Amino acid sequence: MFVDTVIEDKSLHKPAFLLGLSITVLAFFFAFNFTNTIFGEFLSPVIGNPQESGFFGRLVVSFVLSIIFVLNLLLISFARLKIQIFIVWIELFFLFLAFAYSFDLELAYIFIGEPSKIWLMISKGLFTTIYISAVSIAIATAIAIVGAIAKLSNNGFAYAIASFYTSLFRGLPLLLQIYLIYMGLPQLGFMIDAIPSGIAALSLCYGAYMTEIFRAGIQSIPKGQWEASRALGFKFGLILRKIILPQSIPIIVPPTGNQFIAMLKDSSLVSVLGIWELMFMAKKIGSKDFNNLEMLLTAAMIYWALTIILEMIQARIERKYQQKA
Amino acid sequence: MSIKLGFTKSSIAFAVALLSLNMTVQAGAVYDYIKSNNELMIATDANWAPYSYINDAGEMEGFDVDVGREIAKRMGVEARFITPSWDIITSGNWNMRWDVSVGSMTPTETRSEVLNFPAVYYYTPAGFAVHTDSPITTLAGLNGKNVCTTAASTWEMYLEGSLDMIDAPAFTYKVTPGTITSLADGHTCLDDTRLGAGVRNDGIIDSIPMIQGAIEDGYPIRFLGDPAFFEPLSVATDKGNDDPELDAEIARIIAAMKKDYTLTMMSMKWFKNADGSSNDYTIAF
Repeated sequence: MFVDTVIEDKSLHKPAFLLGLSITVLAFFFAFNFTNTIFGEFLSPVIGNPQESGFFGRLVVSFVLSIIFVLNLLLISFARLKIQIFIVWIELFFLFLAFAYSFDLELAYIFIGEPSKIWLMISKGLFTTIYISAVSIAIATAIAIVGAIAKLSNNGFAYAIASFYTSLFRGLPLLLQIYLIYMGLPQLGFMIDAIPSGIAALSLCYGAYMTEIFRAGIQSIPKGQWEASRALGFKFGLILRKIILPQSIPIIVPPTGNQFIAMLKDSSLVSVLGIWELMFMAKKIGSKDFNNLEMLLTAAMIYWALTIILEMIQARIERKYQQKA
Repeated sequence: MSIKLGFTKSSIAFAVALLSLNMTVQAGAVYDYIKSNNELMIATDANWAPYSYINDAGEMEGFDVDVGREIAKRMGVEARFITPSWDIITSGNWNMRWDVSVGSMTPTETRSEVLNFPAVYYYTPAGFAVHTDSPITTLAGLNGKNVCTTAASTWEMYLEGSLDMIDAPAFTYKVTPGTITSLADGHTCLDDTRLGAGVRNDGIIDSIPMIQGAIEDGYPIRFLGDPAFFEPLSVATDKGNDDPELDAEIARIIAAMKKDYTLTMMSMKWFKNADGSSNDYTIAF
């Protein structure tokens, strides 16, 4: 945590800490009875039938599990930092896979058929999800810039409208906004289809959050910069574009990236309008053969992959601005 | 004191004109619109095999889809399916987003406040099911228990004792559940039941072909008692855009489809029993 060169001994290599950790882990595994899981079956030569092993079985299973856990930690602690991170990622990923596997699912279902189910989902759903998210992100950014300027202005109307907007759209659940826009607007005579309604709801909701992010970013630039620019005779638009925004963008980018990732996932909510995007396809494709969870897991993996890509892009942009600064 | 509005009169006039323009487009003449557009927009839920679902090729398929295609064909236009969630279809006010619902909708008094039901095209039995390990053996055994079903469905109304079907075969309320678990996606009920008897629910009510499909797919559930009720299922149109011409045309087409046994053939094709025999649901039992 400290960015300096003082190197302390690893706490894992102190006997007292190791002992304390082992006892805590043992207590944890004992509290959550693992006897009736695959671990119990694995240890059945020692403890006999897991169901009838009782206290002894529970103790043996939790003891073995805690030994494995602590040994694993200890071994990893000797590796270099990058290798540590890599190993822990791989281990957690396999734990997740094991978790999914233990659902007793027909995972082959995802890949059967011509075209396979996963391809069906990608070909029919993924594009719509990306398309809706991308358009909404663009509109939300535009709304956020206008909203932030309005919130910072001295104009009563502009401030009132912008603050009412952020208050309303941050205060309502996104799902409710989707329904309100889809079912409410036609009552006023404005007929909009499912996809535009979804995009409108996503942009308005995330525009409200991003307005606050942009406002905070602009406000974080010291007042003196504005005053100095004015003293030099710059006009408002020029100050904002050439002086204030370039400095506030490095502050705005990280939270905005988070909003993009959140929006990509929240785009799944528009599935209630019957738009054939990832979530919709996941729910419907599996339902015919009653393999719902398989398809939901597939969708989970696709969303995850998408957000990892977005995170990588975000990290790149951040690095670029840090270099500039 | 006179207040001067910042808005000009013309902008208000423009807004009013815009609204009224939309109104005039909406008013009536749905059938003319279908004809001129050469396309019948059909709303149906994509979650109900064998009625309507997404097949392995990623296209809509099922009994309702076949009926919808046939109606469009006999109108001489193309069929296009859209798949809003069930509660959005039943709440009416479609605003011409789609023209008809061919989605096995039961005409009820409540629904007829916002929708028209020009033609019943078949009947389907609804029944209860429980986990195979469930101690419950009779319908009365579900009294006071937790029963799961789809939100805004006739099954939910049946459980609530408020089923106001129009022109339906006579029925009695045989179950008074203690708790009704209504889920937006009725499939989740089946998945909940699979977890075990009494884990998330004690039983479900659903259409019998649907439960049959789940059993064939290896779900540990069994039917409980005889069918609870037979529901008539109708094509629906929007009352907000009332078009008697469209309703008359649909009624004519469905009557013709009954007469030349097209509907019977479709029913036999999609509604099979476990022993491979087919069901003709176009007549009420």
